[in-house]
Amino acid sequence: MQSKRLGWIFLAPTLVILFFFGVLPFIYVVYVSFHQWNPFAVNPEMVFNGADNFRQIVFDQAFLNSLGVTVLFVVFAVLSELILGYFLAQAFMRDFPGKAIFRTIHTLPLIVAPIIVGSVWKLMTTPSIGIIPHYLDEWFGITMNIGTSATAAFATIVIMDVWHWTPLVTLTLIAALVSLPPDPFEQAQIDGAGKRQIFWHITLPMIAPAVVATVFIRLMDALRTVDEVWMLTGGGPGSATRFVGVHIFKEVFPKTNYGYGSTISVIVLYLTIVVCWLLYVTMLAPRNKKD
Amino acid sequence: MADRDDTPLASTHLDDQMEDFEPEQKSGFLPIETNWFDRLFISVVIWIALSLFWFRFIEPLGLTIWISNAIALVLAIYIIRKG
Repeated sequence: MQSKRLGWIFLAPTLVILFFFGVLPFIYVVYVSFHQWNPFAVNPEMVFNGADNFRQIVFDQAFLNSLGVTVLFVVFAVLSELILGYFLAQAFMRDFPGKAIFRTIHTLPLIVAPIIVGSVWKLMTTPSIGIIPHYLDEWFGITMNIGTSATAAFATIVIMDVWHWTPLVTLTLIAALVSLPPDPFEQAQIDGAGKRQIFWHITLPMIAPAVVATVFIRLMDALRTVDEVWMLTGGGPGSATRFVGVHIFKEVFPKTNYGYGSTISVIVLYLTIVVCWLLYVTMLAPRNKKD
Repeated sequence: MADRDDTPLASTHLDDQMEDFEPEQKSGFLPIETNWFDRLFISVVIWIALSLFWFRFIEPLGLTIWISNAIALVLAIYIIRKG
């Protein structure tokens, strides 16, 4: 009994911080999402409007478009990061000349703030001064302009995200791969299993918890990407890269529509939780014994 | 010294405590093992999804959202009890 109390005492600081910085703001956002609120209007009071914001959101074409673009971005970015991260992790498990230097350089993007990443990539991709459009034009005759081409802008953001966040995936997968016991692999090799069979039947099931945790982190991050995109394209051209994060920003700050912005936030949070939960159920949750 | 020998290993002690904390898992009609909080969570997820679907497709036909809420409540009770 005393150890239980001691446990709660140790947990208390974290729980208090979590309550004030996590739970309370969440409750407040849910509360605001049921109101019409423009604090800079003539009437700055919150006006309760029931579920009208939620009624509006399912017909809001701008929001639905931004959701579609975000889902596309998440699929491309997270999948690329996972595949690339796995191959890099496998590469780092082997010895090769210059491994230590390469590993350090490869991890450097992680320490750069997203806003700086966006600025640097903007410099690199701006036509006439950027290094990427310059060499694309000189070597391949391709004209790249992220200010006018929706596809180029979207692809650049995906590549930028992959460049920025693949090292995180690599590091977590290295940790998972290092902790694997050698016995199952030796036994599989003795039994004549091929590399592909070993990957699908031994490696992947054993690193599944790490993969799922990594996907959770990247999925949540990618769904709320704002700063990099804001710096690089500002959501354009048109609404080609207007991800939900950018959409919420534009709804809340320039339009000062706090109620509706909160509704979008709540819906995005709901979708994030559902996607993560489905992923957990599919890959990790204990199956029902009746099945 | 004797006391020390009688004391169980720290990890064993923790395992016993964790068993006290773990909620009862149940095998119902859902494809995964769940405790009551999982089933409540599933019910809330379904309630929100059903409400949004209702707002988009059913309410314009003239059926009030309260019907969706009633269906979600019945589903929630069924999932929590039998899920």
